[in-house]
Amino acid sequence: MTKQLPNNDVGIHDIDRLIHEPSRLMIMAQLYVVQSADFTFLLHQTGMTPGNLSAHLSKLEEAGYVEVTKEFLDRKPHTALALTKEGRAAFKEYRRKVKQFVEKLPE
Amino acid sequence: MTEEPNLKEIERRAYMSYHQDGLLDIFAGLYILGFGLGIFMDIIWDFGMGVIIIPGGLIAVALPIWIAVKRKITMPRIGFVKFGPAGGTSKLMAIFIGLAVAGLGFFFVFTLATFQSGSRQWLDLIFQNGMLILGFGSLAVCILFGYSMGLRRLYAYGLLAMITLVIGHLLDIFFAYILSALGITVIATGVALLIGFVKKYPLKGDKAIAE
Repeated sequence: MTKQLPNNDVGIHDIDRLIHEPSRLMIMAQLYVVQSADFTFLLHQTGMTPGNLSAHLSKLEEAGYVEVTKEFLDRKPHTALALTKEGRAAFKEYRRKVKQFVEKLPE
Repeated sequence: MTEEPNLKEIERRAYMSYHQDGLLDIFAGLYILGFGLGIFMDIIWDFGMGVIIIPGGLIAVALPIWIAVKRKITMPRIGFVKFGPAGGTSKLMAIFIGLAVAGLGFFFVFTLATFQSGSRQWLDLIFQNGMLILGFGSLAVCILFGYSMGLRRLYAYGLLAMITLVIGHLLDIFFAYILSALGITVIATGVALLIGFVKKYPLKGDKAIAE
């Protein structure tokens, strides 16, 4: 007999799948706790390969969650990455939904 | 199911990674050494203001040097991060406020020590046990900042300061010797951390910063 799932307000399908992917979740979490960071910093903090990080950042940028700002630091081109307003709100919402979903699961 | 990320731990690691270069230790050590040298300066040349001028001067030149060194050594290796108001910025502010408060307290006690004749009993008591008070005060400040910043080596510094100041009090060792020794120890730790940091994160050319 299958165990009946609880009647949650939040279902698994309500959780933002773009953020839910572990690598992107890590990137979002890293950017959530800072104002902005560059590619090198994220590379060290996440332990991802440059190609992998770049691919995930592109997806987050396409979704409007991450903004990329090009600037010059000490006359060298520098790329700053930061969560957009939408990105921050989406991450907050993701956390709320995951928490709500997990809390209502049976022991 | 992916576990919810521990944001406090992530923030702590991000913040710690930015202070693993030992610069904080080097500058804090210089500040402590500055006080020690200031006392020596006052005694040797009968200057009277060395204990204020040297640490004060150090604070004035420390910030631009700190920024320049961070840009030249730390950023090309581990990248650049700006901490938001809820994160490291408030912690950095806490450091400066803490240093300012500690400096002012030190200044206050020392000014009193210089100009007060010691007619009041409680003042005599403070000056007689100055090293004990400073030792336990240093331990409390280091634990406070170590905990709030997630820099556990501050606990060791606090313990070291307390032990040396208590020993100094018991053996009646001149205060400036203890301050100078503490300052040099903290600077040496910072230099060791800096060397370790440079070895751990070798430069990968301009790409490291220009990505």
